[in-house]
Amino acid sequence: MNKSLIIVIKQTYRSHFKTRGFWLLVLSPLIFAVILGAIGFGISQMQGNTTPKVAIIGNSQVRQIFKRDEKSLEIDVSKITDSKQANKSLASQDLDGILTIDNDNATLTTQPKSNSINKEAIVSVLGNLSRSQKAADYGLTAEQTQNLIKPFNLKSVVKQSNNESTNGDSSDMANYGIAVAIGIVTTMIVMWYASMIATEIANEKSSRIMETLLAATSASIQYFGKMIGIFALAVTHMAIYVVAGVIGYIVLQNNKLFSNVIQMFSGITLGFTLYAISFILVAVALYLILTAMIASLVNDNAQVQQAVQPITFLAMIGYMFSFIMTNMPNNLAIKVLSYVPFISQSMMPVRLVTKVETWPAAIISLLIAVVAMISLAWMGQSIYAKNVLSYSDDKIMSQLIKNIKNKN
Amino acid sequence: MIQLTNINKTFGNNIAVNSMNMTLEPGKVMGLIGQNGAGKTTTFRMILNFITPTSGKITWDNHPITQSDKQKIGFLPEERGLYQKLTIEEQILYFAELHGMSRSDAKTALTDWLKRLDVVGKATDKVQSLSKGNAQKIQMIASLIFNPEFIILDEPFSGLDPVNTSIMMNEIIRMRDNGAMIIFSSHDMNNVTKISDNLTMLKQGKIVLQGGVQEIREKFGRTKIYVEGPFSTSELSNIAGITNIKQQGAGFDITIANESVGHHIFDYVTRNGYIPAFSQQPPTLDDIFRQEVAYHE
Repeated sequence: MNKSLIIVIKQTYRSHFKTRGFWLLVLSPLIFAVILGAIGFGISQMQGNTTPKVAIIGNSQVRQIFKRDEKSLEIDVSKITDSKQANKSLASQDLDGILTIDNDNATLTTQPKSNSINKEAIVSVLGNLSRSQKAADYGLTAEQTQNLIKPFNLKSVVKQSNNESTNGDSSDMANYGIAVAIGIVTTMIVMWYASMIATEIANEKSSRIMETLLAATSASIQYFGKMIGIFALAVTHMAIYVVAGVIGYIVLQNNKLFSNVIQMFSGITLGFTLYAISFILVAVALYLILTAMIASLVNDNAQVQQAVQPITFLAMIGYMFSFIMTNMPNNLAIKVLSYVPFISQSMMPVRLVTKVETWPAAIISLLIAVVAMISLAWMGQSIYAKNVLSYSDDKIMSQLIKNIKNKN
Repeated sequence: MIQLTNINKTFGNNIAVNSMNMTLEPGKVMGLIGQNGAGKTTTFRMILNFITPTSGKITWDNHPITQSDKQKIGFLPEERGLYQKLTIEEQILYFAELHGMSRSDAKTALTDWLKRLDVVGKATDKVQSLSKGNAQKIQMIASLIFNPEFIILDEPFSGLDPVNTSIMMNEIIRMRDNGAMIIFSSHDMNNVTKISDNLTMLKQGKIVLQGGVQEIREKFGRTKIYVEGPFSTSELSNIAGITNIKQQGAGFDITIANESVGHHIFDYVTRNGYIPAFSQQPPTLDDIFRQEVAYHE
């Protein structure tokens, strides 16, 4: 690699890496996550035992069954069996509820500060008991009774084109999670780093440092050096999160909530993970190239927001479509957008993991993005070289259009 | 040797540089003078390949200036710019590295430069904490620390006080003595006279004067006289051939139509013997500049 290019990359990387702003950007989401986790943990600790204590009155047989199934019913069956004493305990808030059973009827009495009681589970158990009792009265055998009260099993299965089947419920959850994750990651990186590269170029241009820089190196070296430097910074940023994630995994692997999240993503393969990461990186590079190109048209720092806004909107479009897509995967527009650079990164990986698209289609979409990235970088290089030392009063977008027209 | 051959540059209908020829030699300083918009900065930008000449040729030792040649060029732009958030050292090392100097060499050289240019502050100070004059010195160091073979300085003395101007001039002379080719622009003719070996004067993109500084001044004849003695303005005005007379402190600045008038004036002012001062000089660059501007308008 060209020596000057390496110097520009190193300088761009180093000058940002050492700033407080970069570390604030990196650490604020982590600090936010730690604070949220700590608050959640604190609340759960302060809550103490939340299992509701219920007294079962009226039918000792039912009481025994409830006592046996305490765990699945998520209740703690009280020793109290006397109605008067139970009411007294309920009034003094020692009990969360009294379940009074009277043949086919039951009454659940609670007080305003009771912990939540799973009524559906209680109704289900009582229903089964009632049906068993009636079946016995009709003279059915135990086996016939079991058959009668056995609930109907509805299983959700998604049939894939290759005849493989997956669990519908968990795959829906995972897909939604992936759509959200890829969308958020790409949009956030673009918003952070597009603004960073635009400010860098605008600063060099408005303060006329650019003239000193271009006296030593070519415009293309400055252009590619800055982009690669900022891209490396974005990759470092992500790598820090990966390391934080691994540490978090080690620390939280026995946590119930965390295990549920891990379970949700268990269907995702290494191949897909690499594909999604490649797509995110190509997309980030695409956005950085576009930003560097547009930023070369800026006269000063005051115009940076004006230049960056359309780019962040574009990133947001992909993010929005990723949500719409989960509901209508076969829509033609969605299908086409899955191949359109700048948007495809939010669409194609999700379509691939939901098996709406096959691997060849996914690879084609990634290749289109790579080709677009190379072409844009090439075009951007000459636009950057032409504008980085010129100052125009025209609007940024009209300058860009003029430049593209002149190029062709 | 840098050679500009028949250079033209137009922006739309506006001619910025018109048929310019110029030669810059190692160990020589070329002063480029002209009014604002005369084409000085455009000339520098063409040499640095920021813009392409409409026609003509710019060569360094008979070959077009390449990217690797550019590493040997020290450039101080007219509008100064530095990274405000970086320290002096970070800034200088970056520019030095871009020009092919190693970080360790640059670090060693920086200490000397800071001392020589009398920069107030440490290498670890951020540029944003420096005064305008010190920031300008840092910019000068960034342009020269790697011992460039060719130096382009666009208005190097603007905004500097006389002491700092003198420090900067000494550095330019030092670089020249080390064999560098130097071209600089300035509006201060005094400074141009002091450090230039050669001079090019531009008027609306066209060269109106070119040559050695003394040679150009002599070309205009020794038409400036300074005299001190017991005379009055009206008395001296009676001498034929005097075009302008102005009292200057204890003496008189006299402009004459041609060199020979000087003899009449000398004879007249010394007719009674000793006088404290009499000198006959060519016009100053400032006078020549004004005269040429007026002539070409």
